[in-house]
Amino acid sequence: MPEKIEEELLAIVSRLFDEGRIHHFLGYGKGTVKFKTTPLIARNREDLRGLWVEGFCATNLTLYLKEIKGQVGLLVKGCDSRSLVSLIKEGQVRREDLYVVGLPCPGQIDPVKVAEAAGCENEELEEITLRGSEVAVRVAGQEKILPKTLALLDKCLNCQYPKPLIFDCLLPGEYVAPVPEATPTEDVLRKKPVPEKWAFWAEQFKRCLRCYACRNVCPACFCPRCIVEENMPQWVSPLPTMGDNFVFHLMRLMHVTGTCTSCGECQRVCPMGIPLMKLNEKMTDDIGELFDFVGGVDPDKPFPFRTYRQEDPDKFIK
Amino acid sequence: MEVKPEVEKKSKDWEPRILAFLCRWCSYAGADLTGSSRISYPPNVRILRVPCSGRVNPLFILKTLRAGMDGVLVSGCHPGDCHYTAGNYNARRKFAVLSRLLEYVGIDPRRVQFSWVSASEGDKFAKVVSELVAGVKALGPNELFRLNPSKQTAQGPQSPRQ
Repeated sequence: MPEKIEEELLAIVSRLFDEGRIHHFLGYGKGTVKFKTTPLIARNREDLRGLWVEGFCATNLTLYLKEIKGQVGLLVKGCDSRSLVSLIKEGQVRREDLYVVGLPCPGQIDPVKVAEAAGCENEELEEITLRGSEVAVRVAGQEKILPKTLALLDKCLNCQYPKPLIFDCLLPGEYVAPVPEATPTEDVLRKKPVPEKWAFWAEQFKRCLRCYACRNVCPACFCPRCIVEENMPQWVSPLPTMGDNFVFHLMRLMHVTGTCTSCGECQRVCPMGIPLMKLNEKMTDDIGELFDFVGGVDPDKPFPFRTYRQEDPDKFIK
Repeated sequence: MEVKPEVEKKSKDWEPRILAFLCRWCSYAGADLTGSSRISYPPNVRILRVPCSGRVNPLFILKTLRAGMDGVLVSGCHPGDCHYTAGNYNARRKFAVLSRLLEYVGIDPRRVQFSWVSASEGDKFAKVVSELVAGVKALGPNELFRLNPSKQTAQGPQSPRQ
């Protein structure tokens, strides 16, 4: 499948460079680590030789927009386009500075899940290929077939926006959800009693290293100076103690309320495997229920904390 | 924000410590009225005056809990009465999300209370505080961030930074 896409993409981007429409192009380059691509920032046609679209395009490239000036072309998957809508609404990027190329996404493979499902270590995986509705995995020369549900990132199983919401052109391919019959997974933790919830989250917050990978990878975290790095006054202690981690994670969650588009990058990059998306999903469900707001979908609807209605729910207030 | 460690025992004489963020225009005056009308209410609240309930950053509430306070009260003007027109409307949205998140991560909703108390509602302020204190007393001390809760409580005072 990729050859046609790759040719098409090269033709489009080369034309954009030739016409002077863009100064930079943001795409995926072949990574040095197995099953990972690296973001590629091309400045001219020569740089495009490293361009790669053969799967493992999980990275949300909209993150790099804040660091690039001028006219930028970029590849977006359906989910990434929501971040784009959000960033444009926030005034972080201007629509007229962008040339958005839509990428058909068959679902992104999560090597950690694959290794788990195949019953081997991450390093033992030799090859992972998507084949229609299945995923073929080669371990120690032997091929195993896994269903997509066991191999894709959790967010892909519940994909609601397979087609980019904003784009200037679409690459050829199918824009359909990777797992059509999937239903959203229910978070069993929500129904548990409060002390059990704390027992779970205290354990998670204890493990956090405060490497800030979640913050650095988040397209919605664009403050020039993060509050955790403020030291006059020091709002949050930089020590990775459980209590300070709790303050950090909940505070970050409050900061991205509304701008979070559930792209799942925070959880994907977490070196400790903390299920941060559970928190994000709870928050996005809440703002949907309370304020009828879905992040990164409607370009005209104001963010929930930038507006109010007199009839907002206030049953929790005495 | 540093909270002085106080002697805390899990015995009968343990008294909860509660931090109250009160709006300067309504609830702070309301609390004042409670006193001047000689209505008695539990002495467990430490009052912090803020210009508006909209000034209360969710971070303040998180830090208060982190610092070891047993409960938090945020109180401002009734909807429609804000001195700055919409401060409490904006605050209400933030608190709606925060209170649900706190419940989700396992902080009992009885520890964090939001209320609207106007400058003329001295009796309501006393009632809100009494109910909050009763709820927190039923829950016991805030030991969420102690490394080894039972052992350290027995030892008595300790730094909230642990």
